[in-house]
Amino acid sequence: MSRIGVFVCHCGENISRTVDVEQVARAAGKISGVAYACDYKYMCSDPGQNLLKKAVSEHKLDGVVVAACSPRMHEKTFRKAASAAGLNPYLCDMANIREHCSWVHEDKKLATSKASDIVKLMVERVKKGKSLAPITVPVTKRALVIGGGIAGIQAALDIADAGHQVVLVEREPSIGGHMAQLSETFPTLDCSQCIMTPKMVDVANHPNITLHTFSEVEKVEGYIGNFQVTLKHKARSVNESKCTGCGICMTKCPKKKIPNEFDQGHGLRTAIYVPFPQAVPNTPVIDRENCTMFQSGKCGVCAKVCGPGAVDYQQEDRFSVEAVGAVVVATGFKLYSIDRKPEDSPIQGYGEFGYGAIPDVIDGMTFERLASASGPTGGKILRPSDGKEPKQVVFIQCVGSRAREKGISYCSKVCCMYTAKHTMLYHHKVHDGQAYVFFMDARTPGKGYDEFWRRAVEEEEAVYIRGMVSRLYQKGEKIVVMGSDIQVGVQVEIEADLVVLATAVQAQDGADQLAQKLGISYDKYNFYSEAHAKLKPVECATAGIYLAGACQGPKDIPDTVSQASAAAAKVMTLFSKDQLERDPVVAKVNEKYCVGCLACKKVCPYGAVEEKEIRDRQGNLVKVVAYVNPGVCGGCGTCQATCPSKSVELDGYTDEQIMAMIESL
Amino acid sequence: MKNKLMHLSNETMNVGFVKKVEALSGSSVRRCFQCGKCSAGCPMSAFMEHPPNRIVRLLQLGQGQRVLAGRSIWYCASCETCTTRCPNKVDLAGIMDALRKLSWDADGPSKESYVQLANRLFIENIRTYGRQYELRLGAAFNMKSGQFLKDLMLGPKLISKGKLKMFHSKNKNIGEIEAIFKRIEEMRKKGEAL
Amino acid sequence: MTPGKKRLNYSYYPGCSLHASGREYDISTRALFKALNVGLKEVPDWFCCGATPAHNVDELLSLSLCAKNLSLAEQVEGDLAVACAACFSRLKTTQHHLKEDEEKRKQVETAIAGPAALDKPVKHILEILAREFGLSKLEESVKKPLLGLKVASYYGCLLTRPPEVPELDDCEDPSIMEDILRALGAEPVKWSHRMECCGANFTLSRPGVVLKLSNAILESARLAGADCIMVACPLCHGNLDIRQKEIKDAYGAPDSTLFGNIFGSELQQGAPKDQRDLPVFYITQLAALAMGVPSGNLGFESVITDPKPLLREKQLL
Repeated sequence: MSRIGVFVCHCGENISRTVDVEQVARAAGKISGVAYACDYKYMCSDPGQNLLKKAVSEHKLDGVVVAACSPRMHEKTFRKAASAAGLNPYLCDMANIREHCSWVHEDKKLATSKASDIVKLMVERVKKGKSLAPITVPVTKRALVIGGGIAGIQAALDIADAGHQVVLVEREPSIGGHMAQLSETFPTLDCSQCIMTPKMVDVANHPNITLHTFSEVEKVEGYIGNFQVTLKHKARSVNESKCTGCGICMTKCPKKKIPNEFDQGHGLRTAIYVPFPQAVPNTPVIDRENCTMFQSGKCGVCAKVCGPGAVDYQQEDRFSVEAVGAVVVATGFKLYSIDRKPEDSPIQGYGEFGYGAIPDVIDGMTFERLASASGPTGGKILRPSDGKEPKQVVFIQCVGSRAREKGISYCSKVCCMYTAKHTMLYHHKVHDGQAYVFFMDARTPGKGYDEFWRRAVEEEEAVYIRGMVSRLYQKGEKIVVMGSDIQVGVQVEIEADLVVLATAVQAQDGADQLAQKLGISYDKYNFYSEAHAKLKPVECATAGIYLAGACQGPKDIPDTVSQASAAAAKVMTLFSKDQLERDPVVAKVNEKYCVGCLACKKVCPYGAVEEKEIRDRQGNLVKVVAYVNPGVCGGCGTCQATCPSKSVELDGYTDEQIMAMIESL
Repeated sequence: MKNKLMHLSNETMNVGFVKKVEALSGSSVRRCFQCGKCSAGCPMSAFMEHPPNRIVRLLQLGQGQRVLAGRSIWYCASCETCTTRCPNKVDLAGIMDALRKLSWDADGPSKESYVQLANRLFIENIRTYGRQYELRLGAAFNMKSGQFLKDLMLGPKLISKGKLKMFHSKNKNIGEIEAIFKRIEEMRKKGEAL
Repeated sequence: MTPGKKRLNYSYYPGCSLHASGREYDISTRALFKALNVGLKEVPDWFCCGATPAHNVDELLSLSLCAKNLSLAEQVEGDLAVACAACFSRLKTTQHHLKEDEEKRKQVETAIAGPAALDKPVKHILEILAREFGLSKLEESVKKPLLGLKVASYYGCLLTRPPEVPELDDCEDPSIMEDILRALGAEPVKWSHRMECCGANFTLSRPGVVLKLSNAILESARLAGADCIMVACPLCHGNLDIRQKEIKDAYGAPDSTLFGNIFGSELQQGAPKDQRDLPVFYITQLAALAMGVPSGNLGFESVITDPKPLLREKQLL
C-alpha cells in the first residue's frame, strides 16, 4: 500500500478563483493510497515547500503529487524539496491544474471536478512509479561558436578567457560581421571599427581560440557535452599557412571591377581579395566566379607575383571533425534588400519604392558604408547615381518590418536608433543639407536612447514626419517622395536627392538549414527559438546549444554583446563539471522482446536510437536490437508509442503507469 | 464637426456601426496602426476633409457619425491604391464601399450630393434599360444637380463623334434585371442580407 | 488552349462604354481579333456590370449584376474576353469574392435565381494578346511596325489593383503593355504616372477632380517625351482624351491674371511649358494598325484629340 501525499496549491487566486481547491484536497484524501492531502496558498513559497518536507517525514510518504502549475514551471522546485525530505525526486510529480484547468475554464463546478480527475491520474502514476537515478554523461570542455560577428567574437573571447578551448567558425573570408561595416554606433557615436578591430585581433591571437574562416558547419552529431561537428573548409585558393598578407596579389589582379559585398556593392574589389583592410585573417581568397584563371584558365598573375607561393588554384574543399561539448550559435542577420518580389520570402516586395530600380534609393547599411571613413566614398555622403552631394535626404522607417501582411510582423528594433544616428552623421557632414524621416513611432527604449533621438530632432534639426510613404518615383535627378503627415492630416511631397530605407532585419540566409543540422527550433521567420522567452533566453530547447545575437531576433550591439556573454556564461557553467546530470526520463529497450524492426529509430526525433548486436558467448550474432542512448534521448515517448512489440518503455511513463492512470478515470 | 470635442464613452462609441462596416467590407478596422500610407498615396486625399487614415481612426473610436457627416467617403475614387499598399491588409477601398452603402441606406447625412446623385442615376439607368445610356445619364445629372450648362460644349461634340447615342433601346431580357433588384430588396426586408 | 494549334475563340463582354463613348475600342477590338484570326463572339443580352457606382453603394447589387453576366456568358463558348478595365475588374472581383465568401455567394445566387459561374475564365484582352496569342506570334503578325512611336502606356487603377483580383501583372511594376508595344515595334517610354488614378467616374459628378488628376498624368507623359498615350480602359480614355483641352485650359496656359503677369514671368523662366497634344490610343487601335488594318476601320474619327497628325508624321497612315 502506497503512502502518497497530495498538496493542492491556490496559486494566489490563479487556481482558487475557478477551482475549489479545498474540495480537490478533500477528494484527494479519499483516493486509495493517499495518506495525506492538504491545500495551501503558495506551494512554491518557502513555507509551502517546508509544508511538503514536513509532511513527507511526518506521514512517512513514499510519493508526492503537487497539484499546481505546469511542471515546466516548478517541477524542479518540488522535486528538490522532496529530495531534501529524503524522497527519490522522481517520485514527486505535478498535477497541472492551472494551465490545464483553472486558466482555461470558467465553470467552477466543472473545473473543480476536472482538477480532481487530474490529481487522481497523477496519484496513480506516482503509485506505480519507481525510484530513478539521474543519468551522468561526461563533458568535452571545448566549445564551438558558429558565426564571427560581434556576438560570436564576444562569446568566443569570454569562453576562451575562462580557460576553455574554442573553435570559431565563420563562413565569410573574414570575421567581423555586420558591425565591421558600420560607421559609428549609437548612442555614443564611437567608431564601430575602432572598437571592433581590437576584438578581432584578440580572436586571432588568443591561444585558446582556433579560427576557421571561409568555413561552414556541415554536420552535427552527438549531444550535450559530446558533440561531433563536421566542418567544411571551403577552398580559399590561398594557402593560409604560407600567405604573409602582403597584398601584392590584390594590387596585380587584372580583374578590378567587382562590386564589393562589404561596401554593399558600392565599392570595387579584385577577384583575389580581402573583404576590407582590417580583415582577420588578413589572408586573401579567390572569388572563383569572377576569377579569369578559374573561368578561362588564362591568367595566373596572382600565383606568379606571390613570393611565398601561397596561391593554390588546385585547392579543394576539405572537411574536419571537431569534438565539442557545447555550441554557441551566433549567425546574425541579414537586411531585406528591396528587390522584385523575392522568392520564398515573407516580404512581398516593395514595387512602390521601385523594387530597388532607382539608384539613389539605398538601404541603411549602404548609408553606413557611405558615412564610413573606410567606405567607397571615404566617408563623404555622395549619392550612388552621380556622386553628387545630396542636399535633401529622406529616411523611411519600417520598410518590410511591422507590416504583417505585406512584409513581416515584427519590429526590427534597431532602425529607429540607427536612422536617428544617420540624420546626425548627415548633418555633421553636409551642413546645408536637410534630413527628413518618415516614421510611425520612435522606439527608443535603451539607456540614453531617447535622449539620442531627441538630440537628432532638437539639435541636429532632423525633420520627423509621422506618417508613411506610399510611393517613390524618379523625376529627372530627383526622387519624388509621396508621403503623408498624419498629425497635420495632409499629404507631403518631397523632392529628395537620396532616399534611405530602414529595411527589415531578417534571419540570415540558410538559418533554417543550420537549425536542422543542429536540431534546434526556429520560428516562421527562421529566427532561432530560445527555450523560454523570459527565463531561458540564451538556451535552446536542445541541451548544450546556446544562442547569441541577432540569430534569435533583431538586436542592437549592446544587447548582442550582453547575450553573447550570457551564452558564454552558460557554456562555462556546463564546463564547470566533469560529469553532467540529466533527468532519467529516457526510453529503455527490453532486448528480450525487441525484434529489431527499428521502427523506433525511424521516428526518434533526437537520433537517440542505435543498432545493437546481441552475440552469444562464442561471438556469433544472435540478433540486432534497438539501443537508446540515454545521453541523447529526449524522453518524448515517440518510440514507445511506435514499437509494435511493446518492448520499449519510457522511465517514469511506463505502460503500467499509463494504464493505471487511464483505469482510474 | 472636424474639431469638435470627442467625448468617449460606451454610449458615444457606436461599436455596432463599426461591426457592420467590418461585416460588409470583410476587413478589420482594428488592424490599422495608423501608419498613414493610405493617405500618402490617395489621389483624392487633397479633396477630403478626413484623409483615409483618419476615417479608419474615427471608426476605431466608434465615430461613424463623424465619418458619414463628411464628404470624404464620396470623394474616394475606388482606385484601390490604399488597399494594395496597406502593410496590414486593411481593405480601405472595401471599407469605403461599406460606409457609402450605410450612408446611402440612411439616405445620407452627407454633404456630398453630386456623387450620390450620379450613383443613383447610374443605378436607375441599369434598372430601366439594363445598360448605361450615357447621354441620358449626363442630361439627367445636369437637370437634377441644377448645373444645366455643365459640359455644354462637350455634349454636341461627343454626339457628332458618335460617342453619345441619341437613342437607346432596352435589353430584351430587362425583366431579369428588375427581378434581381426585387429579390435583393426582398432579402433585405427579410433581414437575409445587409 | 495552346496557341498555334487550334484557332483561339473567345466569348466577348464589351460593356456599356464600348457601345457608346468608347465605341472605337469595340470597333478596333473586333478589327484586331479578325486580323489575328481569333474568334470573338459577343455574349447576347449582357447587362451593365454596375461599374463603380454599383459597388460604391451596394456591393450585393454589384456582385449580382456581374454574376448574372457571368452566367449569361456561359451560353457562349470560350473564355470571356473583356476589353474595358472596369468591367474586367468587376467581373474578376465578383469571382474572387464569391469563391472566398460562401455566405455572399448564397445571397447572390438567390438574387440571380441561379448558380454563379465562378469558373469561367475572365481574360482581359491584354493577357489574351500577350500570353494566349503570345508575344512572339504577335510580333510575327506585325505588317506595319510602329517604328519611332514613343508611347506612354497607361495602366490606371483597375488592371492591376488589388493584386489578388485581376492577376494580370505585378501590381506595382507591370510590363504587359510595354511588352505588347515592343512586339508592335513601338517604343514604350519610362514614365512615373502610369498607375496613378485619372479620376475615373468623377467625370460626371466632379469633373474638377478629373482635370487635376488627369493633368498630372498628361504632364508626366509629356515630361517622359511620349508622343501619345495608350490605354486599355474607356474611362481612362474619356478622361485623358475628351477632357484634354479642358485640362489644358485649366492648367496648361501660363497664369494670365495680373499677379501671374507680374510674378509669373520670374517664376516661369526657362523653357515654355510643354503643351503638346497627346493623342490617346486604345491598345487595340495601335495593335490593329500594326497588323495592317486600314486606319479607317479603327474609329479614329471618334477620338477628340486628333491622332492623325502624329500618325502621319510617323508615316503610319
